[in-house]
Amino acid sequence: MLHKIVLAMVMALGLPGLARAAEGRQVMVQWYQLVLELVRHTPTYSPPVASRAFGYLGVTGYEVLASGRSEMQSLAGQLNGLQEVPQSGASLDEGLDEAVVMHAAMAQTVRNFFGNTGPSGQQAMERMDAVTAKQVVAGLAGDVVARSEAYGRSLAQHVWLWSLEDGGAVIDNMGFPRQYTLNPVPGHWRPTSSIALQQTPLLPGWGGNRPFAMPTGTACRLPPPPEYSEDPESEFYRQAMEVYDASRTLTEEQKTIARFWSDDPMLSPTPPGHWVSLVLSLIEQDALDGPQAADALMRVGVAVADGFIGCWAAKYEYDTIRPVTYIKAVIDPKWEPLLITPPFPEYPSGHSSQSGAAAEVLTAIFGENYRFGDPTHEEDGIATRQFGSFTEAAQEAAMSRLYGGIHFRAANERGLEQGACIGAYSVALRTLR
Amino acid sequence: MTRLLALLALIATPGFAADHPQVPRFIDETAASGLQSVYAGEWLFMVGGGVSTFDCNDDALPDMVLAGGEGLASLWQNRSEPAGGLRFERTAASGVEMTYVTGSYPVDIDSDGIGDLVVLRVGENVVLRGLGQCRFERANEAWGFDGGDGWSTALAATWEKGADWPTIAVGNYIDRFQEAFPWGSCTDNWLHRPQNLTGIGQRFAPPVALKPGYCALSMLFTDWDRSGTASLRVSNDREYYKGGQEQLWHLPPGGDPALYTEQEGWARLRIWGMGIASDDLDGDGYPEYYLTSMADNKLQGLVKPAEAAALIPKYADSAFKRGATAHMPYTGGDLRPSTAWHAQFGDVNNDGWADLFIAKGNVASMPDFAKDDPNNLLLQRPDGTFAESGDKAGIASMRQARGAQLVDLNRDGMLDLVVVNRNAGAEVWRNAGPSVGHGLGGHWLGLRLHQAGANPDAIGARIEVRAGGRTWTRETTLGGGHASGSLGVQHFGLGAADLAEVRVDWSDGSISDWAKVGAGAVWRIEKGRPPAPVN
Repeated sequence: MLHKIVLAMVMALGLPGLARAAEGRQVMVQWYQLVLELVRHTPTYSPPVASRAFGYLGVTGYEVLASGRSEMQSLAGQLNGLQEVPQSGASLDEGLDEAVVMHAAMAQTVRNFFGNTGPSGQQAMERMDAVTAKQVVAGLAGDVVARSEAYGRSLAQHVWLWSLEDGGAVIDNMGFPRQYTLNPVPGHWRPTSSIALQQTPLLPGWGGNRPFAMPTGTACRLPPPPEYSEDPESEFYRQAMEVYDASRTLTEEQKTIARFWSDDPMLSPTPPGHWVSLVLSLIEQDALDGPQAADALMRVGVAVADGFIGCWAAKYEYDTIRPVTYIKAVIDPKWEPLLITPPFPEYPSGHSSQSGAAAEVLTAIFGENYRFGDPTHEEDGIATRQFGSFTEAAQEAAMSRLYGGIHFRAANERGLEQGACIGAYSVALRTLR
Repeated sequence: MTRLLALLALIATPGFAADHPQVPRFIDETAASGLQSVYAGEWLFMVGGGVSTFDCNDDALPDMVLAGGEGLASLWQNRSEPAGGLRFERTAASGVEMTYVTGSYPVDIDSDGIGDLVVLRVGENVVLRGLGQCRFERANEAWGFDGGDGWSTALAATWEKGADWPTIAVGNYIDRFQEAFPWGSCTDNWLHRPQNLTGIGQRFAPPVALKPGYCALSMLFTDWDRSGTASLRVSNDREYYKGGQEQLWHLPPGGDPALYTEQEGWARLRIWGMGIASDDLDGDGYPEYYLTSMADNKLQGLVKPAEAAALIPKYADSAFKRGATAHMPYTGGDLRPSTAWHAQFGDVNNDGWADLFIAKGNVASMPDFAKDDPNNLLLQRPDGTFAESGDKAGIASMRQARGAQLVDLNRDGMLDLVVVNRNAGAEVWRNAGPSVGHGLGGHWLGLRLHQAGANPDAIGARIEVRAGGRTWTRETTLGGGHASGSLGVQHFGLGAADLAEVRVDWSDGSISDWAKVGAGAVWRIEKGRPPAPVN
């Protein structure tokens, strides 16, 4: 279905009478649709890495539109380290075409961030580039096309150079360090998988990356998790028993919730891609214009990217044991969780932190009690779920990790709180005047 | 206990040190053998690239058909001298010379004693009827075989109960016309069942679509629970499916195929499935399965239920525990994760423990995966763990390997190796026995099953060999690997034993009596007759 949507969108660009400004929005959205697939099919794209790409992609799309509109404010000076973006030297009225600029910028940015994808992804990028380029330049003067393409590429290059210094540009060995010393003290993380690469935890330095909007990775610090204990009277044991008991009485609805938010890397657009996918559906549903769409995608991209940085900083500060390790050692050696346990420390929950951040942003944009359906996983045979608010969706995402047996309650609840704190920095960005 | 006794026996035998499996010496005889074949092509040929081996000229030496991708497939008659160097001669106009071939599997469809060939292609698949002397003719029309128009990448065959002809499952990959956006475009697999039409005779019925298809890259009919009826395992490439997973199909005789479900114990597993190998590694009578993928290969063993409970298809992965993950290059300095394709068990040092060959090679030029990705040769120790020995054995080629076969090409009792490489020449190695300084090689046994009537090669039978206090069990299968298969002699390493006993469960309810056979020879095991040495 998705590929048909994308192809249909490409074709729609050629329809007569379509406003050029609307084409810029459409070009942006269709590149995002492709990126949701590239995230799924590029092996280095674990959730933190995916969130980073969504951050930079969002900034690129936003700056393209902001550069030609007086009602939009550049993010330069607002986002950490982002210097003044290149000036076009021409206006939309006088010699630039927004769709061509957008296409050139997005095509270049997608290549920059997904140059390491597989042969099908390479082919898809080439086809998308070729087909869209042909569509957007139709009827335009050659000098306008050349000027617009050059400007789009210069914006992309500006963002790309900015990204290279954030600490997350190089992913080696799929993100698993070749050397890592486990903390031998009970209660700390142990490998949970028999996959050889995953005997060290994913991206232990990610929390030190430069955030987008929040001042530092530890700007939204969390209290420590419940103190580790194997005493049945302890809070830690109680929370582990909650996971264990829940796993043995899961309803079909709870299993569905766990799988809906599972968002496994390489098998889905990942948790940050899940929220981006939702935004894309809302853009269509609410017929957001270009600036509104770019604003929403940028804010959510920034929020989830910062969400993962903040979350990862906390994960490696507390380095907490996963439920599967604890429960097998203390409660039931034969226990298996519903979901595959991710290969990194437990506290806080990454999905909860970034979902909390995304919900904070989307609530600010769409309102407190905005009802929506989330069709992200329809192509995978998982039905659309309905929500009464973004907060409700984020809370369900958080709780899904307990149902799935991969997080304790504290990690989910504190994660949501951390996400709300992080998302507020994205909300505070000044964009549409 | 069986394993412990065997281990003690081996430790007490000179030349069978437990910690150091004997490393065979594989000599690259590609140039000397005359073999020249390239699996050529870009996106449409990023997968596939198989080789089939079978004796098509009745000289007791396996001949070879290699896929050529955009180039022509080719047939190579084996002119090797017994126990001598490897020699191959390309046969002109054999009938296999087609473009867009991804792989082939030999199977005697019409039970005339002459091997036929099912050729998998990008485009129409073709069945070739064997005419003898390595000549073939197209039989799609004569046999009612609808070759379709897909991107076929896997095959498995079985004889369902009472059937005169095989049931052939064909695995298909992406919808090749969705090249701009291929994800989620996996196409249906096909099940070609035979039918006997009055006045016409045996043919294949129109294929049944095995829905959903999840981009199969390997298939294997296997009687995983020894129920007497084979099920169909399908290993799927998660790169392209949506909502997919590994699959196991029920195939009740004459009944509709149906997927095993979670309620039946089939656990969801999602990998870049590329190849299946099977053998009974632990001597419990049930096969283990090795599944190849990218950076994460699985060695699955059946989880036995509590006593009296029915078997369910629940498997535990022991690859990590047994040193068989083969997840990154072990030589050459490229530290990026590996990409694995064909996998095959075989006892390359005849020490009585099945070893594992894995073909390796980047999909194309994926920068996060090893470019210099050597093939693996994992030698099994008596304790069930594996020791990487590909470099020491001499098969650590850095070409982009795809399909392969471990097969005794010169009848010296040692498994040789042929590997198909993408956009590079195929390679063939002669197994010259143990490396200097590692002691004597073990004994071996070759078995060629035969039964009168349908299914002359006894696909689906279960062979038991016992010697030296151990029993080996193996089901004869046709399928698995990566677009590569073999028909012919079943090779067993016997370690120190020079005499063995053999019996066969012929999968029709009859089980032959134990019969003595001497090591160091190939024996014809024909139903209802005593074993006879093959000259």
